[in-house]
Amino acid sequence: MRKLLILLTVLASACGAAQPVASGGDLPLFDAGEFTNRLEASERPTVVNVWASWCLPCRSEAPLFTAAHAEFSDRIDFIGIDIQDTQEGAAEFLAEFAIPYENLFDVNAGIRGVLGGQGVPITYFVAPGGALVDTHFGIIDEGQLALALDELIQATSG
Amino acid sequence: MEFTLLFAVLTAVATMGATSLLLGRSGRIAGIERPVDVLIGAAVIGMFAGRVAAMVIDGVNPFANPGQIILVRAGVDTRVASVTAVLALLWMTRSRLPQIIDAVAPIAAAGLGGWHAGCLWRGTCLGAVSDLPWAYGIEGSSVTRHPVELYAALGMAVVALVVSKLTERPWFASSVTVAGVALVRLVTEPIRPSLSGGPVLFYAMAAMVGLAGVFVARIRPAAPPGSLTG
Repeated sequence: MRKLLILLTVLASACGAAQPVASGGDLPLFDAGEFTNRLEASERPTVVNVWASWCLPCRSEAPLFTAAHAEFSDRIDFIGIDIQDTQEGAAEFLAEFAIPYENLFDVNAGIRGVLGGQGVPITYFVAPGGALVDTHFGIIDEGQLALALDELIQATSG
Repeated sequence: MEFTLLFAVLTAVATMGATSLLLGRSGRIAGIERPVDVLIGAAVIGMFAGRVAAMVIDGVNPFANPGQIILVRAGVDTRVASVTAVLALLWMTRSRLPQIIDAVAPIAAAGLGGWHAGCLWRGTCLGAVSDLPWAYGIEGSSVTRHPVELYAALGMAVVALVVSKLTERPWFASSVTVAGVALVRLVTEPIRPSLSGGPVLFYAMAAMVGLAGVFVARIRPAAPPGSLTG
């Protein structure tokens, strides 16, 4: 039983850690002012997923966002923000998971200054006009993502 | 750090332990000590296989990314996990199969109920939108929803209660458990939040396998009295 508890503790506490920063230029660069204006001007709900290629949980949730985009892209905009990463890492990550939506390169994690939060991954659910509806810190699973997306649609359709 | 998943798992383990004590099946059964530990071991093996399967399905190479195997939180393939857990249980109890399987069947159903009730720790109980009196919403939301995970927990508890009364024929209790658990998941799946619609076909097949087992067990001879708990 003790071994089981140790195993379960390790499983539940698995999470990513901060990594060194590098810079590059392939992905469009994130600009806090432009991004804020964009969210405020948006007429559709937006999901913003903050990720990094070195972040293990981000790798595991990437296919979920690809699936969510396939299901909800007619009603919700999806944007990825790659933080504290290299352009090479970002390119490999995007190619590996065939992520179909727009991604921005945010080497200094400026997105956290715009929408708040710490760590990676983070997922923000934003209403049309830029109001932050919900923030999910850490890895998100399919049920939580599906519920949050439905909640976002319900909250913004009435 | 996220401990809510751990709390949900511990709720399942605690439910299994309590159920085994209540049913008097916590000790030696059919020559096997602590059958609940065997059950938990099978569940862990199933979870591992289900996680590896989920990685492969998502296009992540488990050999190139072994660190991701521990990210159970990122997804476990229910079908592979269930089948592997059952196979592991069969292997670990192969010499006394019907007695052990039937004896731990209600404990397994109760454990699954505990796992679903663990949504209260994780804040993941809610499903489709509903106006029913017991529906409730996410904090700060005006939308109320079915507490679908609590429905599943209640359903599993009913299955465990019913199965705990069944002792007369080999494979009967375990077959009823498989059918009952699968039917509970099948009924709740449409109101569960999902991007893919959920493994409905898998649950339908599992229900049919369970019902076929019930039929076969009914036409076989009855077990000697007390064989499930001695």
